Amino acid sequence: MKENRFLWLLLFAVLLTAWAGQEVLRLELSSYRVVQTTNEKGEKAEAFLPAVSAAPGEVLEWRLRAANLSKKVLHDVSLVIPIPKGTRYLPGSAAELHLDDEIKVRPEFSFDGGATFAYPPLFKKVIVEENGIKKEKRQEVKPEEYTHARWLLPALAPGQIVNVRLRTVVR
Amino acid sequence: MKRTTLSKALVLALLFVMGLVLAAGTPAGTEIRNQASASYTDSAGQPQTTTSNEVVTMVQPVYDFTITPNGTEAAPGQTKTGLQGAPVYFNYTVTNNGNTPDTINLTAPQGSSDDFDFDSVKIYLDTNCNGTIDPGEAEVSSVDLNADESACVIVEAVIPAGEADGHKGHANLSGTSAGDSTLTDNDNWAEAVVTSKAVLDAAKSANPSGEVAPGDTIDYSIQGSNKGGSAAGAITGVATVDGTAKDGILISDEIPAGTTYVLGSASGSAGGGTTSVIYMVNGSWTATEPGTASDVTKVGLLIEGTGAFFPQGAQYQLNFQVTVNAGTAANTAIENTATVEFDADGDGNGGGTGEEVDSNTTSNPVAAVYEVANGPQDDPDSDGTGFTSTYTDPSGNTWNYSETTDTTDPRDDDAETITDDVYGGDTVFFPFTLENNGNTPDSYDLSLNIVDPDTTDGADPSTWTCQVMASDGTTPISGSIGPINPGDSFDYVVKCSIPADYEETGGSDAAHIEVTATSEGDPNVSNKVTGIVTDVQSGYGVDAADHGNSNDNDPSNDNPPAQSADPGDTVTVPFDVTNTGHNPDTYDLTTDLPTGWGGTVYPDSDCDGQMDDPAPAPVADTGLLNEGETACFVLVVDVPDDESPVDLDGNPGTTDDNVKITATSNADPSVTDTISTDVEVNAVSDLDFSPDRNGTVTSPGTIVYTHTVTNNGNEDASVTFSQSGSTHPTWTYQISTDGGNTWTDVGSASAITLAPGASQDVQVRVIVPDGEPIGAIDTNQISANATYTNAPADSASVTDTTTVVGGDLRVEKKGETCADASCTNVTSADASEAKPGEYIHYTVTASNIGTADLKKVIVSDPLPGHTDFVSVSASTSVSGAQVLFSTDGTTWSTSAPTSLSAGQAVFVALDSDSNGTIDDSDLLPPGESITLEFTVQVQ
Repeated sequence: MKENRFLWLLLFAVLLTAWAGQEVLRLELSSYRVVQTTNEKGEKAEAFLPAVSAAPGEVLEWRLRAANLSKKVLHDVSLVIPIPKGTRYLPGSAAELHLDDEIKVRPEFSFDGGATFAYPPLFKKVIVEENGIKKEKRQEVKPEEYTHARWLLPALAPGQIVNVRLRTVVR
Repeated sequence: MKRTTLSKALVLALLFVMGLVLAAGTPAGTEIRNQASASYTDSAGQPQTTTSNEVVTMVQPVYDFTITPNGTEAAPGQTKTGLQGAPVYFNYTVTNNGNTPDTINLTAPQGSSDDFDFDSVKIYLDTNCNGTIDPGEAEVSSVDLNADESACVIVEAVIPAGEADGHKGHANLSGTSAGDSTLTDNDNWAEAVVTSKAVLDAAKSANPSGEVAPGDTIDYSIQGSNKGGSAAGAITGVATVDGTAKDGILISDEIPAGTTYVLGSASGSAGGGTTSVIYMVNGSWTATEPGTASDVTKVGLLIEGTGAFFPQGAQYQLNFQVTVNAGTAANTAIENTATVEFDADGDGNGGGTGEEVDSNTTSNPVAAVYEVANGPQDDPDSDGTGFTSTYTDPSGNTWNYSETTDTTDPRDDDAETITDDVYGGDTVFFPFTLENNGNTPDSYDLSLNIVDPDTTDGADPSTWTCQVMASDGTTPISGSIGPINPGDSFDYVVKCSIPADYEETGGSDAAHIEVTATSEGDPNVSNKVTGIVTDVQSGYGVDAADHGNSNDNDPSNDNPPAQSADPGDTVTVPFDVTNTGHNPDTYDLTTDLPTGWGGTVYPDSDCDGQMDDPAPAPVADTGLLNEGETACFVLVVDVPDDESPVDLDGNPGTTDDNVKITATSNADPSVTDTISTDVEVNAVSDLDFSPDRNGTVTSPGTIVYTHTVTNNGNEDASVTFSQSGSTHPTWTYQISTDGGNTWTDVGSASAITLAPGASQDVQVRVIVPDGEPIGAIDTNQISANATYTNAPADSASVTDTTTVVGGDLRVEKKGETCADASCTNVTSADASEAKPGEYIHYTVTASNIGTADLKKVIVSDPLPGHTDFVSVSASTSVSGAQVLFSTDGTTWSTSAPTSLSAGQAVFVALDSDSNGTIDDSDLLPPGESITLEFTVQVQ
């Protein structure tokens, strides 16, 4: 009886969890170690290996799959992939997302922890001291300082799935 | 001279750059964790966020090391002069550039493209990096280095005795990584040149020899001696001091980048000549120390003399101090090399072989310093400067704050207090700013702690849901933030959702939201800031009231006025509901009514206090009401038909109120408002007495009529009887209320009590005396008179009409109403009521009540108005006789008619001799009867 009660409680908990979840937008992040290979013909190619581990200098590719599980259109969908600590963004690796022939979503970047985003080049204000006088200067942010990348989709239809990706280099 | 100085600077710069470029990288074993997130607007227009799974990648070990200075055997990286039979010393730096600890195995092979092999070549670890082999510094064959760590190594090479001046010998310091044996560094050749002339060496030490922090002082000491075979001489014009060319030996040392000379710290001495400390200011030497320390770019020891004045064995020493500049980035290598210039060959010039000697290079890495300031918005150091007192949240609400500054380290008592009113159900935001005040990029864990300043007041802010978000207020921050570069700041907010039913005012603050930023580089470094909510007012409120009186802050007029109704009536109670809370809310509408009563709430869309026409759909709640919004409703109360009188005090709002309406907040069910009123039920009198009866009687004769008295009032009725209208005083009318067992005069009958809805049959007996003429008619009205406790008296009457007939034939007609044609379901036993579609079944009985036969007995009955013929049948009690039917009274048939038109009658006659005709021979004997059954349907 105790076992039965436990199973019922477990089932209830599972159902409750499922009900409470009501997942609308599912995000699946995966990572791959990008390895350059050369075949017998001397042609270069890339191999994608599980990124269980990686050495400094190696390239990791982060792939984000977003699926609208609801039956309603989601608007202003912002997909964000952080540049994880211990890595730096590989310039040019965040590809433009083509929702259809007309809508192309360029990636935006943040250098302030995801608080603000803009299309590159990014600029920041820095205080510099020249001849004893502090001045505020506008300085371009290097891609290695990027902290997040974002794709801002105007809408995601019910059942629609999109994939975005970028690469980082292990510091 | 200038070229030489520049090339040294380039070397130093190169080393500096190498130090940065070859940084070890992310330490092996570090977990690279990543989690994507998304925000979107759902179909309800509400902003939502979600996160992905977390992906973890482990950083692998990478081995890498260098030995410097580099040099090939053809182009050695360093050259030293030495006497035959004496040792020379080559200084090296071994650096682990990998991301994991490693052991570098060292060997020192001799050259093959030189003039001689050294007698011995040994490798020593220069523990204190002072360029000399000190007592206790052991010979080694390997060095153990952590990631990014360097070691000073000295190769001691002994020149064989008897080697001629100018001969050269080569040695190499070769290294192999123990972690990755394929990694080697074999190009570090050095050269020793045999000389019998003066040899001045230079050994430089730095104290401390290892890591330094910004603000630390480094003591530099350069010392050497003439280890050559003859006295060292002066270089003509070795330095121009204060505009005057000086002859002698010069030991000079550049102030390293990232440091500042310490005024008054330079001193020097020498075992020959005249010494003076000189300073390079604005590119020129001066013997006068400047007033501004940062003006000194180089310190020198000038040993003035003429000719070969610095004897064998004579020593010199130059000491000075520098301070590591504030803000110097971590891992910066503060490297320094001194140079000695002298004349060895007596030509009065420097630049010859062995006449310019570089010391070993000291290297002090700048340690990482971790400091963090975590404070109110735009004022991380909480000194009040720059504080921004407003924040606009994602919903567009602008919050205002006051700041509590704290300029006493550790500055943990700074706070930001919301100055706006805060309500239960609100989502509040605390904007904070964090600044990296260290000298190295750092990441920070933000720990959130909700403190209840008063744990005894029953309100517990730990029920709040708080989360650290990016400064936009919508992007959640998972894990630590950063890395943040030194001097950079990071804005973030803490978002707290207060439960809808939360309320705490007065006394201590409602909640302190503490955020502690802890350095990941040094977990002992942290700084706390506090967000304060002083009071939380109830976010939900409701006011239900009589129509037109809600939200007027006057509870005395909330209850609707009392009303009264008869049983079966409906009563409308208009009322209004106002959201008096801060947040939008929906309120359930429930009623509490007497058992059996119906209550339905309808929206009153035009808010006129009347039921709308057509009636809208009933509602169970108010729908969503915004702050201050009022909705109007009408409660329709159905009083049951049989409801007893209800007598209340007529004052709504008292305990006997029987109609209550409650509005209950959906968001906070503890927020309710109930209004109540009296709906009284009138005492109603209603007595029914029926049917009227007609009958025939002989004289003398008796006839009994049955009537039914019914109490349709809602109280017990006490019923007595009376009669009036009879014109035949000799006729006697009696009444029985017990089914005919006992008879009394109509007016003398005992009162009967009828409960509400109860009925009772009573019999009225008419006794006609002998001698009344045939055709005499008496119409008598029998009245039932009811009295009630509260309701007014009521009465009802029936009329009995009695006709004296001749002979002895008595005709009685009864009726009953049925739901079906076969009359199996009787709806009215006396046919006093009938609904359209129902059937009335009549039974007419003609009886011979005399003592002689009656001839040619014919019974007729017309089709009643507003009815349709259904069927007719007849029978007789006379044995052997038959009944015949007719629709005109002259033509007879044994078959009953199947239809009758309006106004037409059916005739039934006794054919006692069964000859098919009706005539005087057809006899109805005494006591026998003929019966007609006639069924019609009500139109």
